[in-house]
Amino acid sequence: MIEVRGLQLEVGNFRIQGLDLVLPEGGFHVLLGPTGSGKTLILESIAGLRRIQGGRILIQGKEIQHLPPERRGISYVPQDLALFPHLTVRENLRFGVRGPGRSRKAEWDRIFPLVEALRIEPLLDRYPGGLSGGEKQRVALGRALAPSPRLLLLDEPLSALDPGLRSDLQQLIRSLHRTLRFTALHVTHDLEEAYLLADTIIVLIDGRVEQKGSREEVFLRPRSRRVAQFLGLPNLFRESVIDVAENGETLTVSFWGRTIRLPLRQASTMVRADRPVDIYLRPEEVMILREGKPVKESLRANIFEAVVSRIQDRGILQEIWVRPLGRPETLKIHLPNYVFRNLSVQEGREIRLAMRNESFWVIPGDEP
Amino acid sequence: MRGLVGTVGAAMALFIFYAGLLLSLFLTMEKRDFFTILLAPETLFSIRLSILTATLATILALALGLPAAYALSRISFPGRKWVDTLLELPMIMSPIALGATLLVFFQTPVGRTIQEKGIFFVFEFPGIVLAQFATIAGLATRLLKVSLDEISPRYEAVARSLGASPWEAFWKITFPLAFRGLLGALILCWAKAVGEFGATVTLAGAMAFKTETMPIGIFLALASADLQKTIILILILAGIGLSALYAVRLVERHPLTR
Repeated sequence: MIEVRGLQLEVGNFRIQGLDLVLPEGGFHVLLGPTGSGKTLILESIAGLRRIQGGRILIQGKEIQHLPPERRGISYVPQDLALFPHLTVRENLRFGVRGPGRSRKAEWDRIFPLVEALRIEPLLDRYPGGLSGGEKQRVALGRALAPSPRLLLLDEPLSALDPGLRSDLQQLIRSLHRTLRFTALHVTHDLEEAYLLADTIIVLIDGRVEQKGSREEVFLRPRSRRVAQFLGLPNLFRESVIDVAENGETLTVSFWGRTIRLPLRQASTMVRADRPVDIYLRPEEVMILREGKPVKESLRANIFEAVVSRIQDRGILQEIWVRPLGRPETLKIHLPNYVFRNLSVQEGREIRLAMRNESFWVIPGDEP
Repeated sequence: MRGLVGTVGAAMALFIFYAGLLLSLFLTMEKRDFFTILLAPETLFSIRLSILTATLATILALALGLPAAYALSRISFPGRKWVDTLLELPMIMSPIALGATLLVFFQTPVGRTIQEKGIFFVFEFPGIVLAQFATIAGLATRLLKVSLDEISPRYEAVARSLGASPWEAFWKITFPLAFRGLLGALILCWAKAVGEFGATVTLAGAMAFKTETMPIGIFLALASADLQKTIILILILAGIGLSALYAVRLVERHPLTR
């Protein structure tokens, strides 16, 4: 277990105060946040490359915050990779496994499985300057993993790559992690990358952990409006809580001029009665009902009439904007192409929408 | 295009200006005297003394300048801007003023104690080294810092995360990467030390076969109205300086210093 407890850091006007992180061993943890949220500073602090003003960093219960970087057993891959340009790929890989009394063969025995897994054997005698972007990434990963670090820190290492190559490397990192089960803390502001790689996602905004959880928890059930906005979630509607049932299992909220009752598990724990809330509806969870077709029992509670205001062909799906009748809000719906083809949806046409109770997610509307 | 031609024209004009100055020396020189003066014991002494003192001053400048440059390049410490500014003092102060300042320093109690209990500098060989060192140390630190600034500190950060001590990270990563720039900086400083006159003559004096470096030799020859000797010594000094500058260009291109 890697723990950061009460981390305090001050750089210029930027402050991190009392930050806590717990990273279970063997997990691939993603620190996700917008530019300037302090992700890199946290990584550098854990690596020992930045002096912290307070707090503790523990690996398996042992404090390491006073140790210099070389004695922490933490490998660090910066954004620019920093492959040593005057050393060959082989020498770069050897750098972290050299040691007094360790033979070349012993070094090679440690490196070879990585060389094979990363498919970099043909590059061993080349210098980093002659490698492609993807090759450099693989060498940097190999170099960082060669000493079998207790924690691998990755600071947006894929950000400079084009989308195709980035996706290949994401797959490679994923499969490498499945095989070697190293503990990693990967920093990114790329939502897709976070979703693809993470076992757990830690959302960091303005130096504060806003949410921590599985990727499903973060993306489907954002804890706060700040997280939802950072994730770029559409369909956030400002409403209010009317009542929380005494048994603590049901929540009554206003929604588009009506009252709907939802199971309490459909709301963030921070939601309180008589407070504004934001209701989030995932675009792919909203259904358009076909005329004349009977409606399932589970959908009958939440049926709304609306007008199609815009249709956008996104290639792999159709994006449809609708406006509920007599309401100012706009709702975005994602429909798979095959569903869209079977529905006669056209701009300006009236349709009926249905949502399951499970499709609503209630977030506190005022920030703590 | 016309602007570009203008800039090349300016470069050529400067080249012609300096080449013309050197050419005037060649044209005035009595060729048959060249080897006589070059091989004269006094000239050979001056060349040896200049090379020896400039080399010692450069080694001293490197010994102090490299760690100082590293600190200025990599570490944020209180008063860094003051240190950085003061290092430029020899560049803006006239060499004679610098030499006079050293002379005054050796009149203070601290300076007198150093001379009485340690090394005697005034009008002595160590004085030449000290004067040259004082002239080039600030420049050396500045040039070494520029070379180090060009190397991203991330290399060292990564090296340390891979188990290297601060010294190992510097020696195995930053030093080889900055080597070309560091060597170029040292050659430039050495050439400047070889040509140093003002501070040296003020602190060490102008005594034949004692403190007579090449520039002091030129000064003594000119003072005794020996024009031929003056010209030949200038050409020898220019030859040494230009060879050093050419070496800097070679260092920039040499594959070993890539």
